[in-house]
Amino acid sequence: MSDSILSVTNLKKSYGKLEVLKDIDMEIKKGEVVCVIGPSGSGKSTLLRCLNMLEQPDGGTITLKGNQVFGDGKSQDLDVLRRDVGMVFQSFNLFPNMTAEGNVSIAQRKVRNRKGDFCKERSVELLTQVGLAEKVDEYPDRLSGGQQQRVAIARALAMDPEVMLFDEVTSALDPELVKGVLDVMRGLADDGMTMVCVTHEMAFAKEVSDRVIFMDGGLIVEQGKPEDVLGNPQEERTQRFLGLVLDH
Amino acid sequence: MWDHKDEILDGFWITIKLSLVGGFFALIWGLILSLIRQLPGKVLAPFRWITIGYIDVLRGIPLLLVILLISNGLATLASEGVIPKEIGIPQWLGESDPFWYGVIALTLTYGAYMAEVYRAGIEAVPRGQMEAARSLGMSHGQAMRYVIVPQAVRKVVPPLLNDFIALTKDTALISAIGLAETVQVGSDLYSQFFSLSGYTAGAICFLVLTLPLARLVDWQIKKQDEKFQRGIP
Repeated sequence: MSDSILSVTNLKKSYGKLEVLKDIDMEIKKGEVVCVIGPSGSGKSTLLRCLNMLEQPDGGTITLKGNQVFGDGKSQDLDVLRRDVGMVFQSFNLFPNMTAEGNVSIAQRKVRNRKGDFCKERSVELLTQVGLAEKVDEYPDRLSGGQQQRVAIARALAMDPEVMLFDEVTSALDPELVKGVLDVMRGLADDGMTMVCVTHEMAFAKEVSDRVIFMDGGLIVEQGKPEDVLGNPQEERTQRFLGLVLDH
Repeated sequence: MWDHKDEILDGFWITIKLSLVGGFFALIWGLILSLIRQLPGKVLAPFRWITIGYIDVLRGIPLLLVILLISNGLATLASEGVIPKEIGIPQWLGESDPFWYGVIALTLTYGAYMAEVYRAGIEAVPRGQMEAARSLGMSHGQAMRYVIVPQAVRKVVPPLLNDFIALTKDTALISAIGLAETVQVGSDLYSQFFSLSGYTAGAICFLVLTLPLARLVDWQIKKQDEKFQRGIP
């Protein structure tokens, strides 16, 4: 498992009495694209948020590039972890007080300590990559949801992360804006980016992912190649879920 | 009364200086308090508690009492040699000691009020902003400085201005320790001539300051509403 980039063992998380994650083991390899699917409340978003410690797990370990960042109930060097793990949110969370370019530049400047000109150049390059070369100087409230989400992807990419986490990034978008965002993600997958995507886009999962994980009730119920999990699910819960999602 | 316009204007000038200097320090002190109050983690909890306690206590004591405690307290400590005379009886930058006692009392009390205003502004910034900033590897401090506070401050300009108007009026209380500000001058003129025109002139002076500020608050709120409702005909 030398090419494992992010691994999770026995991960647990509860909110009060509610056990959201019961016992999760997961291994993400370099360059792998993993889609996490499951009914709402299954713990998939919580799992993703634990991966960069936006939620503190109650138990288990998280290891990034061989460094244990969480274990024995303690975490280490969160800012370093987060630097290497990019995250894109359902609700974009762009900084409204900065332009698109400012959003992409700020962490480069303050966290990576890159020089201003270099940051700006890199930001424009990334915004061009996500199809927003025209929007560099616009503030977020002048952008559509799809454009905002693409800025958010560029912002996460600017940190040169080892892994990108996508938390239902198209769920808040109008249908006609979804494709633009998925195209950007497809491009990233083709470029070999390691990605973990919590998603309801089954077609995207089928087409892009190397592995699909189905979660329910805080556990990984089934995982495997997308054609197996989505095309020929073995577990009854997976079948029921896919029946409900694909049947409309 | 026109013969005494110089005294009245001198008093008014002291009121303006008190408001600006006290308001300036209260703005900064309030922001510091609100930031300490927002510090994350269990380790820093005692700092949060102390700050909350301070804010509660200072908001619960009349400003007049704070003024008396500060002026008499510092003067006593200085006379007993506990603290240097330069601090106990401050006469910095050519201003009198009652002026500085007033500035200190205004800062302590209005800092507590303004801390609550800042806090409301910080808490009104969506949670996702902090998460996005932290997910990029920013520290709590960096996230506060570059992302949260700039957004919070914009939201709280009108309520901060309201506090500033209240502070301006409360400078009148510092007449209690003999500072010749607007109200004190009015009282002096009253006891000399048994005429209310000193007070009347004082009231007009305050209105000259506070009315434009009240309009400014309304204008700021309107401007924010317009930004918020852009696109709706």
